Amino acid sequence: MRLPARRRWPGAAGTTRSLSLLAVVAAVGLLPWLSGRDPALSVLRARSAEQEPTREALDAIRRDLGLDAGPLSLLGGWAAGLVRGDLGISWVSGTDVGPSVLAGLQVSLALMGAAFGVAVLLGVALVAPVLVRGRASAGAGAAMLAAVPEFLLATVGLLVCGVWLGWLPTSGWDGPSSMVLPAVALGVPAGGLLGRLVADALPAVLEERWVELWRGAGVSRARVSAAALRRVLPPLVPQFGMAAVGLTGGAVAVETVFAVPGIGRTALGAAKSQDLPLLQGAVLALLLLGLVTGALSALVRRRLLGPALRDASLSLPPPLPVRVHPAIPLTLAALLATAIGWGLLRDPYAVNTAVRLTPPSWAHPLGTDGLGRDVLARLGHGAASTVGTAAAVCLLSLVLSLALGFLPGVAAGAADIANALPPVIVGILVAAVAGPGTGGAAFAVALISWPPLAAHAAALVQEVRASGFLTAQRAIGAPPSWILTRHVLPTVAAPVARHALLRLPGIALALASLGFLGLGAQPPAPEWGLLLDESRAYVERAPWAALSPAIALALLAGLAVSGAAYAQGVARTPGKEAPVGV
Amino acid sequence: MTAPLLDVRDLVVRYGSVTAVDGVSFALEAGETLALDGPSGCGKSTTALTVLQLRRPDAGEVRFEGRELTTLTERELRPLRPRMQPVFQDPYGSLNPRHRIRDAVAEPLKVQGRWTDADGPARVAALLDRVGLDPSYGDRRPHELSGGQCQRAGIARALASEPRLLVLDEPVSALDPSVRAGVLNLLADLQDDLGLGYLFICHDRAVVRHFADRVVRMRDGRISPSSPPR
Repeated sequence: MRLPARRRWPGAAGTTRSLSLLAVVAAVGLLPWLSGRDPALSVLRARSAEQEPTREALDAIRRDLGLDAGPLSLLGGWAAGLVRGDLGISWVSGTDVGPSVLAGLQVSLALMGAAFGVAVLLGVALVAPVLVRGRASAGAGAAMLAAVPEFLLATVGLLVCGVWLGWLPTSGWDGPSSMVLPAVALGVPAGGLLGRLVADALPAVLEERWVELWRGAGVSRARVSAAALRRVLPPLVPQFGMAAVGLTGGAVAVETVFAVPGIGRTALGAAKSQDLPLLQGAVLALLLLGLVTGALSALVRRRLLGPALRDASLSLPPPLPVRVHPAIPLTLAALLATAIGWGLLRDPYAVNTAVRLTPPSWAHPLGTDGLGRDVLARLGHGAASTVGTAAAVCLLSLVLSLALGFLPGVAAGAADIANALPPVIVGILVAAVAGPGTGGAAFAVALISWPPLAAHAAALVQEVRASGFLTAQRAIGAPPSWILTRHVLPTVAAPVARHALLRLPGIALALASLGFLGLGAQPPAPEWGLLLDESRAYVERAPWAALSPAIALALLAGLAVSGAAYAQGVARTPGKEAPVGV
Repeated sequence: MTAPLLDVRDLVVRYGSVTAVDGVSFALEAGETLALDGPSGCGKSTTALTVLQLRRPDAGEVRFEGRELTTLTERELRPLRPRMQPVFQDPYGSLNPRHRIRDAVAEPLKVQGRWTDADGPARVAALLDRVGLDPSYGDRRPHELSGGQCQRAGIARALASEPRLLVLDEPVSALDPSVRAGVLNLLADLQDDLGLGYLFICHDRAVVRHFADRVVRMRDGRISPSSPPR
């Protein structure tokens, strides 16, 4: 005897999806009003360096910008302009926003197109061995590539190919040669993700019965491979769409590193200089880009599936478990812990200009930075603050996802929007409102890191609610609070908490990427992303100062991947909890 | 003449546009076993859930010990629930896999405010003993027991609420034939000792004939006119 499955409220997801989208667009429109810092002051500074910030001067600017009219008329004016195709006038340069957004969009689209090409090439290279050799999986290497953040890859690419080898131009946007490094930096993580998804799914598909039948009937290997690919792709297309959305976030970092005049760099620059109309236009363009990509991927999926299989009726077999030896995550964690522990014993703020940019030595095992500060000490203290912030974000998204797990219909719509927002864009918006800082960065990452946890919690809640023992609880007269605290929460909380813990390195990377872009922790705080960013200035003279945080971040990425894969393998062994979605 | 223990009249339950139970009526006296028989999908289990008020009917009456239940709110119903207890088909699924058997049997006592640290453990041990489980099994979790042992634990939990009516939804269908007889004999003994009324859902004709005092046959949500007379 089972309780009838709870009827999903079909309109809920759609309603919350539209509401969340409206909320995001309204937040963009209200940026000038939401901004905690006084925009009038920054505009005054930008317009003339000499003018004193007197009350009259500031009031005049506020009237000029329409800031005194209140939020509703501000939003109304912005929306009305939007409908006419008028994005407003830049506060800093005084020119129309529309053309600069369009110019940036053109550059970014070209870059993303090139990056997409790189991603497809890499994906093919990763998938080909699986098809040729049969049942081996290429998942591990691909997963590693997928986890490396774009800003790290961009910095390393700049360092190696641009500075040391001098093969390629490292900044600007003139000609195809300047496109190579940015496209590779942007395309490799996306290609790793594509390759990993397909390479993970293929072995299980190749074990399906029809493959045996086809081979027995003498169908050529190439045709079987083509059919297997055709079988694997449609259910993965939505995830490809999300990877493409991720490109818009990655573009911000990559364009910044290589000084490419694209839309991402425009958005970041506008956020930093408080040029809010330009920021509004750029963010809106990035959001639109993400939404169009999502819609396109839905269209492609429908074309691939045909009209009969509208819904998710074609699902993939569960991937064959990939055994990750626990020694791999343990070794990575031990390496990181050693470096961090050692660094924590040293002083990260002690400035000693006599030993600026010294190479590694016994006194400074990882060398010193531009102010003569010990790199090892800054790495160790940076980890403590990054991991601490990441843990707080994890906890916040855990609580949020447990609460939302009970409202799967409502949460699904909001999750769609949260998934379509790369952390960098949310970070830019939060920084524009609250000013850059650790708290704002943590808030931005928390805003979008809950959907996978909430989906996991919702699945578990549904499973518990359908179980016989919960019906028995109602039958003995247990009140809802008893059922919730004694049966539902204990069943749901433990697996979701483990899942949240596994996401900690990924969250730390997201925080580091915000720090790298100057949207997170501020100098002189020793945050990892910030360390990498600072070291870029003297990367030619002191490459080790850049390499140490880069290697530390790469280790963190490795830890994120191998820890998650290990947990997945454990979860799939019979008798344990539901598999962890990664 | 006193009212019957359970009196169901013109019960109607719909799932969306499907009418699962369509005007079912029957009555059941204390100490009596009424079997609800019929093919799968005929609405037997829905009837059982609705009698227990774990699903509310769309129309009809459910009188238990002379009291109309369908008009009560969830809160008003809660103190009455212990007097009618379910025993489910899936012996493992009806016990929380994380809880020890001892805690599962003690839970009704705690929920209903009848637990004291002084005599609670002894009552749990006595209940386990009553259903033929050695009290040492109380330390185990469901997956460490056999299906028959789990079903006995489920019966012990039902007895802990001191019910008058047990709704047995295919209580032996998931068990090995070799242990079915033991569980059925236990149920018969309990009925003789405690005077319980049984609403017995089952589709195994042989078991029904052996175990039930009366049989009501259901088909497509209705009582089939071919119900055998006594």
